[in-house]
Amino acid sequence: MVTDSRDARAVRTAGRLNEPRPARVESNFDGTPWQVNHGAVAILREEWRVLDRWWTEEPVVRRYFEVVLETGENTVVFHDSTGGGWFTQRGA
Amino acid sequence: MIACLSIPGFELKAALRARPSLSLRPAALAPEAGREPLLGPVTAAAEAAGVRPRMRLGEALATCPQLVLVDPDPAAAELAWEEIVRSLEDAGFSVDAAGLGIAYFETRGVERLYGGLEPALKRALAAAGTHWDARIGAAGRRFAALAAASVAKPGQLLVVRDDEVGQFLAPLPLTLLPLERQRYDELEALGVRKLGQLAGLPGGAVAERLGPDGRRAWSLARGGTAARVRGRRPPAELAESLEFPEAIGNELTLRRALGAIVETALARPERRDRFVRKVALGARLVGGGSWRRTLTLREPSADADRIRVALAPRLAELPAPVLELRLELVELTEPAGRQLELLAAGAEDRSRLSEGLRQVRASTGSGSVCTVVEVAPWSRIPETRALFVPRDD
Repeated sequence: MVTDSRDARAVRTAGRLNEPRPARVESNFDGTPWQVNHGAVAILREEWRVLDRWWTEEPVVRRYFEVVLETGENTVVFHDSTGGGWFTQRGA
Repeated sequence: MIACLSIPGFELKAALRARPSLSLRPAALAPEAGREPLLGPVTAAAEAAGVRPRMRLGEALATCPQLVLVDPDPAAAELAWEEIVRSLEDAGFSVDAAGLGIAYFETRGVERLYGGLEPALKRALAAAGTHWDARIGAAGRRFAALAAASVAKPGQLLVVRDDEVGQFLAPLPLTLLPLERQRYDELEALGVRKLGQLAGLPGGAVAERLGPDGRRAWSLARGGTAARVRGRRPPAELAESLEFPEAIGNELTLRRALGAIVETALARPERRDRFVRKVALGARLVGGGSWRRTLTLREPSADADRIRVALAPRLAELPAPVLELRLELVELTEPAGRQLELLAAGAEDRSRLSEGLRQVRASTGSGSVCTVVEVAPWSRIPETRALFVPRDD
């Protein structure tokens, strides 16, 4: 029996680092979050927008917030304006 | 006897395997991006409509407006050809694969095994498979075998005995000779159109007029020199691929991905401290085609940086965004023959780290240990800045 040396081939699938994770966020009338994953927001540290890939069929339109929760946890959340929904993300 | 197995238009046939319905329609292999717009091989229907291989694209489309252009798929062609060569090797032939669709082998060693020349050649034809319309020519010398294969019909065996070689070659066209286009024109202007006419000229005069290439062509027209066929060394077949979550067209990102797969491939235990002599870089493209370049290193190396630096410029030749990047270590040297350090710096730390990772893998399974590769650190979208690539070394 001859083993197929093609077994030495390996296909690896690369994954994305810092993929967004769905979050439960309650927001104020102006769109700023006041609660993230059942934790109340103590401080809204920063806010910025990302508008990218507008030339593709999958544009990225996000409104990011860096917040400090009352527990002391620092977290970044964003609202996805194209698909809707809130997400947390590391590395932002 | 030297036998030549020939599959004309192999690259087109390999590309049409995915779209078999096109083989009955006028179709041709499209020119490669960035190259001269000349057609590759064509189907029989295209040839009947007046389209010829190496015709200019514009001329071909004017001749046959319904001509379908088939994107080249070099990776599929290489793979299919490798299957055929392996199949011949499994049948006992020591094969010298001269290029896609052309393979030479000597029959002497296997004639007794199969009970004669003809049964051995039939076995080789069967090993190649019926799908490819292979044909075999056999003669005492390599060029005569190639000439015989080029006039044989699909599935036919054509054996030319030594005393018939001159007579057999004489009426064949000069295009069988490995000459530049300009040389053919020159010979045609001199009224030389057949191999026999060239063979009849004095060798010295041909060399004077056409130089060393002409002299070689003259020698081939007279049957060629006697030389044995050397079977190839089986390729190492150590390959590493990286699939991207989306098509990547950015060269810097591809360079980083290349760096990651070079390191992973070199770290594979199957390499067993051997050095890399020849590598192939391939890619699956976003439109469905593929791309492949091979590179023989000036000096065998197991240094990831050197291999990466040698391959990186090839990435600029990619014609389309990439879905998968693949690196093959095609030829490896023997482990001996290089003076290595007795104890490399940091070797102990590395071996402890690698043992630790091995234990993590053993408890959590393959693919659980990853390397982070920064691919687009400038991106405003955080999840596209880096990829994590599984590594099992």
